[in-house]
Amino acid sequence: MKKTTLNDPYFIDFPHRLSQIQEKMAAEDIDVYLGSRLRTLSWITDAFCPWRSYIVIPAHGLPTVFTFVIDAARVADDSWLDEDHVLGYAPLGGMDQITQISDFIRDTLGLHKGHIGVENGMSNYLPEGNLTHYEHECFKESLSGFSLVNAHHIIDSLSIIKDQGTINRFREASRIVDKGHRAVKGAISHGGWKGMTETEIAGIAALAMRRAGSVWEWSFTGGNEIASGYRTGLAGGACTPATTRKLKAGDGLMVDIHAMFKLALGDHSHNYLIGRATKRQLWHARNFLDIVSGTLKAYKAGASPVSIAEEMMDFAETRGFSEFMVPGFEHGIGMMGDEWRIGMNDGPMPYWTNPDHTYRENEIVICAMQYACPQEDTGFRYENPILIGKDGCEPLSRFGLKVEVIE
Amino acid sequence: MAGKVSYLSSEWRDEVERRLREELSPEKMKHITTSVTFNYTGCPDGTDKYLHFTCVDGVITDVKVDTGDPPQAEFSITGSYDLFARVTQGIVTSQRALMSGKLRLKGNMVKALKLASLSDRINKIMSRIPTIY
Repeated sequence: MKKTTLNDPYFIDFPHRLSQIQEKMAAEDIDVYLGSRLRTLSWITDAFCPWRSYIVIPAHGLPTVFTFVIDAARVADDSWLDEDHVLGYAPLGGMDQITQISDFIRDTLGLHKGHIGVENGMSNYLPEGNLTHYEHECFKESLSGFSLVNAHHIIDSLSIIKDQGTINRFREASRIVDKGHRAVKGAISHGGWKGMTETEIAGIAALAMRRAGSVWEWSFTGGNEIASGYRTGLAGGACTPATTRKLKAGDGLMVDIHAMFKLALGDHSHNYLIGRATKRQLWHARNFLDIVSGTLKAYKAGASPVSIAEEMMDFAETRGFSEFMVPGFEHGIGMMGDEWRIGMNDGPMPYWTNPDHTYRENEIVICAMQYACPQEDTGFRYENPILIGKDGCEPLSRFGLKVEVIE
Repeated sequence: MAGKVSYLSSEWRDEVERRLREELSPEKMKHITTSVTFNYTGCPDGTDKYLHFTCVDGVITDVKVDTGDPPQAEFSITGSYDLFARVTQGIVTSQRALMSGKLRLKGNMVKALKLASLSDRINKIMSRIPTIY
């Protein structure tokens, strides 16, 4: 069980989060909340739950986590919850997840009917963790007398705006990522890139970030994503797990690295041209840098994903490079497990970002751009967590915005 | 002990308590404090029975066999008389019985994992009691 104090810059008032959830549960006549999404578990427990896990939140009092028994003691050690509120499930009689949670709701919470809030839906993000159809049916059967109602909007609405502790954690994760970038730049400079593979670059960044306090190169898209040469230009190549491809003179190099600090996520992509650069590559690079700068200027409270996309695509059209732009400029981010979608599920495409979502102060998103020219084996990627402010945004990673030619 | 005793009889209970106290020191029991109830369904006399152990600081303080509502315990394990009898005789391991879902455990699984080896020790001692099942 982890204890934090108010004067800790990374302090998050988890009991307050809990009481906010319980207030909303009461308002919606939900007797108990059964969370299963990774984002929900992270946001409430302050612990990383890599195995299928559930959190049962009663109307009053502490929540109880159910996770795979082999990891339960570690989760309890990392969380602010004590070991009596982090229980393990196992493939043993009475100990499987369905039986244990159902028994807990009936016997420990003493509930025999009512509404159970669950997390249903779909996601393009694999580790989202919505309740599966099978789980839903099993709970429906073992908890007869209860009705299961979709209630993920409770957590979603509460977790959009980041508190100070969360913001500070994100700042630190980005500071760590910048250390990784400095290590990579140092390693590839002065001919260091010769013979180097993408996987080595990923490892150099990982070591530097671990030394600086990162606990995981968290991305499910392959950890530290390194792309070189033709791989930088793949039009559908916004995820590039590192390969053993060796760098060559004339290559582009995308270094998209990830750190995790207290479940806050660092994610910054920096781009290089290796050995030499053609005029055409430099033209592409200038386009890319200009659109990134313009996009960063466009983010502020009141803007929306679609307003930014329209403004930026107009700019790209004017400059003649719109065909190289993937027309999306951000993705959502929160504590571990909260990725991709921005805001609530209230847009025209269920479970995708609402293009008209209006940004508010203290939201964090990843400003993300993919510039891809497959015909020329050239491309660039920008990613940086940004904190939305009243009149602008704060890019959390401060590694300079450049496309550097590494001699 | 002269002859065999009947499983779950008061004589069997007395022998269990005597042997556990004799053979399991607080050190061997890791000074644990816990309680566990085994709920037997379908006993030969037509009743449901329970076997309850209380252990305080590694000392077995209470062994109870009875019918009716069992005392509150940190862990409870429920199964048929026949199955428990086979587990006690060492014919079936408790692990296999739990993994097949034939025994049903209630309680904190993480804590139960820590106590699994101690539970095996208790079971071994019980299995050596000449018993009529």
